[in-house]
Amino acid sequence: MSKSLMIVDDSATMRKIIMRTVRMSGLEFERTEEAGNGVEALEKLSSAPVDVILCDINMPEMGGPEVVKKVRELPACADTKIIMVSTESSQELIDGLISDGANGYITKPFTPEKFQEKLSPLLN
Amino acid sequence: MIEEKCFSAALLDGAKEVFETMVFMDLEESGESAPQIEGDSLLGSITFSNALEGCLAVRCSMSCAKIVAANMLGLEPTDEISDEEIGDAIGEITNMVMGSVKSRATSEAAELQVSIPTVVRGQNMANSLGEGAGKVVVTTSPDEEHVIEFSFLYRRSGS
Repeated sequence: MSKSLMIVDDSATMRKIIMRTVRMSGLEFERTEEAGNGVEALEKLSSAPVDVILCDINMPEMGGPEVVKKVRELPACADTKIIMVSTESSQELIDGLISDGANGYITKPFTPEKFQEKLSPLLN
Repeated sequence: MIEEKCFSAALLDGAKEVFETMVFMDLEESGESAPQIEGDSLLGSITFSNALEGCLAVRCSMSCAKIVAANMLGLEPTDEISDEEIGDAIGEITNMVMGSVKSRATSEAAELQVSIPTVVRGQNMANSLGEGAGKVVVTTSPDEEHVIEFSFLYRRSGS
């Protein structure tokens, strides 16, 4: 079954780095999308939901925590897995995100192995 | 001071982790004969507040920054990389080093609120927090030609 991925990060360079790292992890996606912030992500998701979202936390206009809440309100994204990718490592923040509907968390800096470890169970 | 030693170790270890993981380069602390950062350079800065306030900065030459960006993107340094991408890469490095310092240093550091990084380009740039501020500087060499300077300036909030 083909899988689709969206990377949400306000840094275009970081989006490329994440994409590269996902490829290096061996994970394959038939369709990939990018968004520079939460507003852009939701606009794209409303017409074309994805299987996995890799989402930064600190972004302009709409940050990661709000993205999680809004995505969980979209019926079309009921099965979408959301993995937060950020330098923030506060356990309180992570617990809050999971409680709001995120499926996991990857801290920056990251390795391809970390993406494999976090995403493989969610994709199978 | 114990506190400065703690921040120095956290800064060096954090920088090494980020570079090893994301830039695929091994950083070594520079010796006294290391070259200076001269000419056109980038300064990535991120400020923090809470029990401590201050800033962490990453400074290197443009040519070094290009190598860093190329490695992060999986490109060759001779490939076309825009100044925006190079600046973006240094900003992300600054952000990640700050995250690593937060997780490694004192319990106070773990609670620091951090800003979004900014990157400026120029010559002979430096951050300053005024008299009495603590200052930790770690100079590293990713290769024989280049130097990357990490600095951590701080003071107790309200002091």
